[in-house]
Amino acid sequence: MNALARYIKEVLTGAWSLAAGMSVTLRYMFKPVATVQYPRQALPLPEAFRGHIELRRFAETGSHGCVACGECFRTCPSGVIKVQGLKQEADQPNRAAFYFIDFSRCSLCGLCVEVCPECALAFSTEYEEVGVSRYSTVKDLLARLESQGV
Amino acid sequence: MNTGILLDLRVIWDGLVRFFGLDALILVIGLLVVLIWVQVNALFLVWLERKVAGHIQLRIGPKEVGPFGILQTIVDGIKLVAKELITPQPVSWLLFVLSPILVFTPVLVAFVVLPFGPHLVIRDINVGLMLIFAFAGINVLSILMGGWASNNKYALLGAIRSVAQNVAYEIPLLLSAMSVVLMSGTLSMQGIVQAQEGVWFIFYQPVAGLLYLIGATAETNRAPFDIPEAESELVAGFHTEYSGMRFGLFFLAEYTNMFIVAAVATTLFFGGWRGPFLPGPWWFLIKVYILIFVVMWVRWTLPRLRFDQLMNFAWKYMIPIALLNLLATALVIKLVR
Amino acid sequence: MLRKTLTEDSFYLNLGPQHPSTHGVLHLLLKLDGERILECKPLVGYSHRAHEHMGQNRTYLQFLPNTSRMDYLGGLCYNHAYCLAVEKACGIQAPERARYIRTICAELNRISSHLLWFGAYLMDLGAFTPFLYAFDDREDILAILGEITGSRLTYSYCRFGGVSRDLNQNFRDGVKAFIPKLRKRLKDYRTLVTKNVIFLNRTKGIGVVSPEQARDWALTGPNLRACGVAYDIRRAEPYSVYPEMEFEIPTATGGDCYDRYWVRMAEMEQSLRIVEQALGRLPDGPVKTAGVPQWLEPPAGDYHFSYESPRGHLGIYFVSDGGRVPLRMKWRTPSFNNLSILSEILPGTLVADTIAILGSIDVVIPEIDR
Repeated sequence: MNALARYIKEVLTGAWSLAAGMSVTLRYMFKPVATVQYPRQALPLPEAFRGHIELRRFAETGSHGCVACGECFRTCPSGVIKVQGLKQEADQPNRAAFYFIDFSRCSLCGLCVEVCPECALAFSTEYEEVGVSRYSTVKDLLARLESQGV
Repeated sequence: MNTGILLDLRVIWDGLVRFFGLDALILVIGLLVVLIWVQVNALFLVWLERKVAGHIQLRIGPKEVGPFGILQTIVDGIKLVAKELITPQPVSWLLFVLSPILVFTPVLVAFVVLPFGPHLVIRDINVGLMLIFAFAGINVLSILMGGWASNNKYALLGAIRSVAQNVAYEIPLLLSAMSVVLMSGTLSMQGIVQAQEGVWFIFYQPVAGLLYLIGATAETNRAPFDIPEAESELVAGFHTEYSGMRFGLFFLAEYTNMFIVAAVATTLFFGGWRGPFLPGPWWFLIKVYILIFVVMWVRWTLPRLRFDQLMNFAWKYMIPIALLNLLATALVIKLVR
Repeated sequence: MLRKTLTEDSFYLNLGPQHPSTHGVLHLLLKLDGERILECKPLVGYSHRAHEHMGQNRTYLQFLPNTSRMDYLGGLCYNHAYCLAVEKACGIQAPERARYIRTICAELNRISSHLLWFGAYLMDLGAFTPFLYAFDDREDILAILGEITGSRLTYSYCRFGGVSRDLNQNFRDGVKAFIPKLRKRLKDYRTLVTKNVIFLNRTKGIGVVSPEQARDWALTGPNLRACGVAYDIRRAEPYSVYPEMEFEIPTATGGDCYDRYWVRMAEMEQSLRIVEQALGRLPDGPVKTAGVPQWLEPPAGDYHFSYESPRGHLGIYFVSDGGRVPLRMKWRTPSFNNLSILSEILPGTLVADTIAILGSIDVVIPEIDR
């Protein structure tokens, strides 16, 4: 008799637990959806978002502030950055004439931005990157700065 | 003028009736309708499943193709048809190719006796219920064939599991159906519906109804009884090696099977096409789709049973209870009459 | 192939490296008798990326981004651990506020890791829906962490002597809204999963590990605590601000899959408590020590640091010769030891149990392979 009672209890508690679980899913079924329909809707980017780096435009000079010291190039763990400076005149500071990054190898750690003594680098907010070859991930930051306009 | 007569449908019809006989003609047309219905129904069910799953999981499911994504499954179907039929080299070719065709045949046969409405049934055979259960058995054979012929260890394990499971769950399924047969005194599907004049059998036989639904879920290999294709264990179970429309046929058969077991449940326990206001076929479909929704809802809620637990559940719980229920039914009927 | 093996009593099944539930590229070589497992051999190394060697070839700072890539589910914890280890070697002390912020982030990371495990485990057991619910919660955490770290998975947030960015209002609001939300969700999980009779049948008494076995195989983390050994590095060798926090170490006694599940679920609640306390006590001040040199040069010697990652004992060992680049670097990652017990407990179980046990151990393959 005891065994029979245990058997019946087992069946009933088991059935009850399943019913309770089903009630949870039913409740969730009528909740608003949690997903965002991405290409049609997009979430706001956080202010700290780290895209690939770009050169900042300074209001005072209307241009970038990179002096091609090479600190970013030395710090970068993946060797992504290529930067070369050019002296226009003898007593003028060095200016970057050439700033390329290979985004395909970038790990987005942000160390280059942090070590820059001139604060010349910033993160872009681009996250939709697509290209037809691996060379399309190589970015010319100076050209990018030019194309952005003033 | 001559062409006008030729195109006259009445004349063509008369000619065909004279040539084949009315019965045969109705059978052929019925089968054609069934074939189309099977496809449309499966497409709708796949869409419904994805929508139900989506909303249960706080997503919205397909939405891009057609209104509410209703055309999504058609697009998927076209993709499946267009895909290459890969036949791995070491398979037993005949069995491998035959299996998806065979899985689809019994599904069509069952439609012959399903009573969609008071007159909307292809053939009302006096052993209709038995016909359905008999042909449902072939399903297992084709799964075993497919799993064995694939020459893949996962497929083989899936096939073995499937056979054991289907054999075990057919017993409570039949026993619970039997208690309804005892009450109605007939095996004809229409007869069973007619016997539910007034009160549905689910109110007399709640236990049998529940057992039938559980057994039916297991028969159609749906979660939580989907161990033959248990994705996280056996990759895709018995149809691991199938691609393209061969896989599509297994898929189609699964959803059509779902429709059939729900239709049988409707007929046995929920009064078939009976219902107020609307004509019979509408009621039948509404009930069937509600039952299918419940099956889907279960699938997206519960984890999968383990193989031996599944067998234990059948032999230790379902069969004794079904037997007791049958016994009690027989006793009550004897006392009342 | 099959025909040949079927004539014998047993056959080999290669579970993985491509398999839906090996969580990456784990390869289990199983010797099966029907569905029963006779022998199990875990084969690892498919995602070996030589992280330790990379550590020996670059400066301490340059290795920082690598740390979150070893264990992609506990990236912040690994960041944190590495920074603590190097700070210990160089004698740098992070400011109070930074230490609190790191703790908050690491605990949020722990919750997100456990949530993902929860979802993936239920997926292994055949329930699809909890996976999506867990991802919904995890999404909240990733959004919150993204607010200040700027990234969602590989954070690179901690720095030697602080963190890279201070908290903002969005972060605080996000955490404050998230804590009650997750508590409510955990209640739903209890109804949906923990009490579910099928789930109980699938996990109770499956894959039992005794405390002795756990010690022999050097299990750590929730897997060890599920055997009844209350060993947690946050208590045993406290670091950061954990000594000031009030929290319990959940332990179970059975050592089976269900207990491992239960311990992790309880740990999420404790982590929530820690986050709540730390956010309440957050002091003001700078988040980064000034004057930390860019190229650190720890004095020559051996250094070791232990950290409680979401999966267990994370040990960082490196040898410095006084230069900018470590001479030798070695990471003791918890999943490697946790995984190795499979060959001890799998024999005798069924294929379905294999998945349940493998899932319950919570392995992250790239962390094993490094």
